[in-house]
Amino acid sequence: MNKDGQTMREAVGLIVNPVAGMGGSVGLKGTDGAMYKRALALSASPVTPKRTADLLSHIRNRNKIELLVPPGKMGEDHVADLDIPSTVIGTIKGETSAKDTKNIAGEMLRRRVKLLIFVGGDGTARDIYDAVGLGVPVVAVPAGVKVFSSVFAVSAKAAAEMVDAFLDGNDVTEEEVLDIDEEAFRNGRLASRLYGYLLVPGVREFLQAGKEASSVSKPSEQTKREIAASVVKEMNPDTLYVLGPGTTVKSIADEVGVSKTLLGVDAISECKLVGTDLNEKAILELFERYKSRKIIVTPIGGNGFIFGRGSKQFTPKVIRQVGRENIIVVGTRDKLSRLECLRVDTGDLEVDGLLQGPMDVTVGNKEEMLVEIR
Amino acid sequence: MMREAIRLNMNEVPYPPPRRIIKAARQGLENLNRYADPEHLGCLRRLLAGYAGVPERHVIPGAGSNLLLREMIHVFSKERKVLMVSPSFLPTVEAAKQFATKSVSIRLSPPEFDLNVEMLMKTVREPSLVVIDSPNNPTGKILITRETVERLTQNVEVLVVIDEAYYEFSQVTFADMVADHPNLAITRTMDKAFSLAGARIGYVIAGERFASAFSSYDPFLPQCSLHAATEALADPSYVMRNVCRVIEERERLLKKLDGLGAHVYSSDTNFVLIYTGLPAAGRRFRDLGVLVSDLTTQLPPGFIRVSVGTREENDVFLDRCMKILKDHESKRLFSKNHA
Repeated sequence: MNKDGQTMREAVGLIVNPVAGMGGSVGLKGTDGAMYKRALALSASPVTPKRTADLLSHIRNRNKIELLVPPGKMGEDHVADLDIPSTVIGTIKGETSAKDTKNIAGEMLRRRVKLLIFVGGDGTARDIYDAVGLGVPVVAVPAGVKVFSSVFAVSAKAAAEMVDAFLDGNDVTEEEVLDIDEEAFRNGRLASRLYGYLLVPGVREFLQAGKEASSVSKPSEQTKREIAASVVKEMNPDTLYVLGPGTTVKSIADEVGVSKTLLGVDAISECKLVGTDLNEKAILELFERYKSRKIIVTPIGGNGFIFGRGSKQFTPKVIRQVGRENIIVVGTRDKLSRLECLRVDTGDLEVDGLLQGPMDVTVGNKEEMLVEIR
Repeated sequence: MMREAIRLNMNEVPYPPPRRIIKAARQGLENLNRYADPEHLGCLRRLLAGYAGVPERHVIPGAGSNLLLREMIHVFSKERKVLMVSPSFLPTVEAAKQFATKSVSIRLSPPEFDLNVEMLMKTVREPSLVVIDSPNNPTGKILITRETVERLTQNVEVLVVIDEAYYEFSQVTFADMVADHPNLAITRTMDKAFSLAGARIGYVIAGERFASAFSSYDPFLPQCSLHAATEALADPSYVMRNVCRVIEERERLLKKLDGLGAHVYSSDTNFVLIYTGLPAAGRRFRDLGVLVSDLTTQLPPGFIRVSVGTREENDVFLDRCMKILKDHESKRLFSKNHA
């Protein structure tokens, strides 16, 4: 409350990608790059105004927030007649671009918004990640043609409920941002890789179906620590441990007391970091120094890939040299329970075949789950 | 006054027990200042043995099969790993988490939810306590065959517990194997087909190794529950009537749901597993006055477990399904397109 007894409003950023989703109605699988112009030529109509209106009309805690919005189609136009106070920030010259999204999201971070809402698809999520990383929680409203990242709410209405849950004090959790190859997607192939993580209100039931969304952060974080302690306890002194991307694997590095890149492949031995952000060549060089090697990976939420999506550095050659028996898979029970199976797509059918079959996954302290790799 | 929500989330049978059983439970109230008479407990044991078709020495009654399962995991998991399936009956999972030196769950993957028997056999090469619910909760599927039980129990280092909470609906039991397999135990309950969920009477049909470990186990059952259970077992013919009514309703429900485009799974229990494709499906039904079990923590998003209620309750549930279907966004999601 302020001195007049009025409730202080929290600053919430809103960024709308006005071209997101336009390709869908005219049969284009995205509006990245030149595809936006093609969508316009095919008379594609914008989808974000309705999505944004749906979102804003369903926010219950409207008296608790003030909105920070970019000019024009990226924000200002959507809040003009709204009963929520708003401030326009930044400038946009000509057609909107990814650069505008990044600049304005960065500005919002500097202005310390409490929450950043964005309307768009996977491409927008990547731009937001580039600008804010884990610096501010976000609510992602699905409007794009490609919406595969688990950061997205299931609908605009569900996104509004996530905003309310966050304003009511809900905790936040990390969710994945995927990089979908639009060219491959257009050719009917889904090629994705883990791009990064964004913080989202941990209201699991509102997050995107088919994509894993860990439970609210505290129990999930605690489980990750338990998994980490359990793995570290079993570590051998002369062994090289090559750690894949992901927060569960990062918790193992935290337990050891070394700093790990969240998305990269790092290596430790004797509780010391012996390589960071390794590529295939660097991993193979390390293998020459260590006879005993193990890989530690966690599945990507939702699709369950342990190799071939978030960690291209684990090439067929690397996997062959380590051997299936030296692959340690970790993940919270919550995450594993919502996967149909584990998956691999190394690009080498023979290696994929070697990996298939039941795999022990460490899901907690003294807890394992046997899951099929398909 | 707010209308009470329809409870289709606890796998209860919706029909109350016969009047004579309620009358018997009331008789129990007359002696509430006293512990149950040991002879009365002995009578329950005899009746349970007769019902299960096993010698009395193999029967251990208790206050709910979940407590008996918990006790068995507590007693037998100290020097053994506990092997279960996932998803499974949650109290079992919790007990293993709490007591076991090590627990291993075999994942039952959608859409078939089959138990990979070879994976199971490979995992029990060391001393283990295997706990499997068959039919499985929440898939409603029979997971294990007589041949698999036979193979598992051949290893004397392995103790096997089959939870047959839904036996009356599935009519598949391994109780007759207990006499010849000292390392086999079956847990059952009167909560479901007997319409006695509120009485909380469960029992173990225990092989010799389990029976001797539980020889000093004294359940001290509540008076009302004991009176109700013995009266029910004195004439259990109503149980089959219950089962027939539930199965008839279950099949009607499955057919109607199939017609609505939901992905439904066949069931050997008094509940059905449904893939709705709807995130937060449990919340959506709750908001419309029907409680169902949302399986978000156990299965990929979109699965719910729904108990078979009375015809009227099931019709309300179906009506709510239609209402959810009318929602523009749900229409897209509520489909058979489950991978």
